[in-house]
Amino acid sequence: MNVGQYWTQISELTLASVKARYRRTFAGFLWVLLNPILQFGVQSLVFKQFLKLDTPNYYLFLLGGLLPWIFITTTIGMGTPVFVSNSHLLRSFKINPMIVLCSQILDNFINFMASVFLILTPIYLFSNQSLVNLLGIPLAILPLLITTASITVILATLNVFYRDINFVIGFILNLLFFLTPVFYPREYVPDHLRWIIDVNPFLYVIEPFRWLFLSPSWSEFMMWFGKGIGVSIGFLLISIYVWKRRRNEFYFRL
Amino acid sequence: MNSTSGSEVIMSVKDIKIFFELEHYHHKGIRDVFVSAMSHPFEFLMKQKELFYVINGVSLNITQGMRLGILGTNGSGKTTLCRSLAGMMQPQLGSISTVKEVRAIFDTGTGVVPELTGRENAYLLARLFFPAKKDLKGIVEEAIEFSELGHFIDIPFNQYSKGMQSRLLLPLVTSIPSDILILDEVFDAADIFFQNKFAGRMKTFIASSSATIFVSHSIDQIRQVCNHLIVLHKGKIHFEGSVEEGYQEYLKLNPSSEVLDRSPFGPGT
Repeated sequence: MNVGQYWTQISELTLASVKARYRRTFAGFLWVLLNPILQFGVQSLVFKQFLKLDTPNYYLFLLGGLLPWIFITTTIGMGTPVFVSNSHLLRSFKINPMIVLCSQILDNFINFMASVFLILTPIYLFSNQSLVNLLGIPLAILPLLITTASITVILATLNVFYRDINFVIGFILNLLFFLTPVFYPREYVPDHLRWIIDVNPFLYVIEPFRWLFLSPSWSEFMMWFGKGIGVSIGFLLISIYVWKRRRNEFYFRL
Repeated sequence: MNSTSGSEVIMSVKDIKIFFELEHYHHKGIRDVFVSAMSHPFEFLMKQKELFYVINGVSLNITQGMRLGILGTNGSGKTTLCRSLAGMMQPQLGSISTVKEVRAIFDTGTGVVPELTGRENAYLLARLFFPAKKDLKGIVEEAIEFSELGHFIDIPFNQYSKGMQSRLLLPLVTSIPSDILILDEVFDAADIFFQNKFAGRMKTFIASSSATIFVSHSIDQIRQVCNHLIVLHKGKIHFEGSVEEGYQEYLKLNPSSEVLDRSPFGPGT
């Protein structure tokens, strides 16, 4: 099979599962946007109004970190059980399991892009900032997408062997939310403790995206982008290794 | 070799082995791993992992026109062998070489997105089976026609009975000829009328494919389809040759005494 055929399969499967879930209703689509809007509403209320975090352009700052974070957590959360929940299908036919997983990832990615263009971009335009930065979006989402997809591949594969991984991961992501600079800037962290958040790989895929909306110098953006690409290549290699190593046993354990 | 020797070899299997570390099977989850690492740290790190060979050195030539039957007790490695022939699993040792397209079906009781209707699932499955095909409408509608499902075709697939599911899937997978076709115990769900109707279609389909590999516990079905047989036992080829001879060899295997206690999965897998 060539790349085009894989793409056809993944996109048609994505379309079908979206259709199954929402039956093409408008309310179904609103539901997708409701989650980020509510999270954004509550967090900006708590951190800006209650705790009075003093960061310029806080709403843009928060959204720029929160939307990628929601993409990461929902993709991992929905992607990890994919092999197990489709085990009957995967055991019945010669279908590359990656097609089923990629379609789940694509589904979440579309939701993410919808929230970027319908929530974040309007707020950004209202704040009268340069339009040029929006051109950087395709670049900035690259490390985010690759890293999230690779981690999901690793976890979905391991979940076939250790069925409680989904539970453990949900727990870990809850902790990581506070150790990732999503609602606070990295600069708030005292120098001697900063390593705690600097070892967090999610930092390097969220920051390039967020920088775009804070009108940075491009050199600073490229610095974050470079690190993000480094992290994503690392996870991509690990995911290929894990999948190749586990591929046979996978079918015994499904 | 046997009756099919002399024909062109279209798939060549050379001494393949598939194994895994038995240790994994004691752990159901990360929590179990954590607990055993904490309670027996030394054993956890040092204990030699035992290898379990599901396929233990199988060599096989599939030739043009071969209708290969596979007999074997539960847990003898039939499905694993078929999965490696189909390219779903990669043997750790040995090699499988073929230039042909392989289609494999292990069960007909599943839809892609069961919440969607039978028709929608048929289109999706056709897309997954025939990635290169541009226009699916002709083949899918023909398969639906053949299935005689009538108005059931537009109700959700997850409300189908097992027999209805296989009524839809069997015609679908046989709608385009394939080079090598692997069928692993797929004929049992449909009713007798449909099985008879389908038998005719199957004959044409098998005749148009280069080779067929057929797994069944029903010797009658194997007699109908196959011209060559292997008996698989403990992950090895116990016998290769004619259908009748192979069946006699198969009957001599006594599964109750040794096969089942060897399988870590228990019977039926």
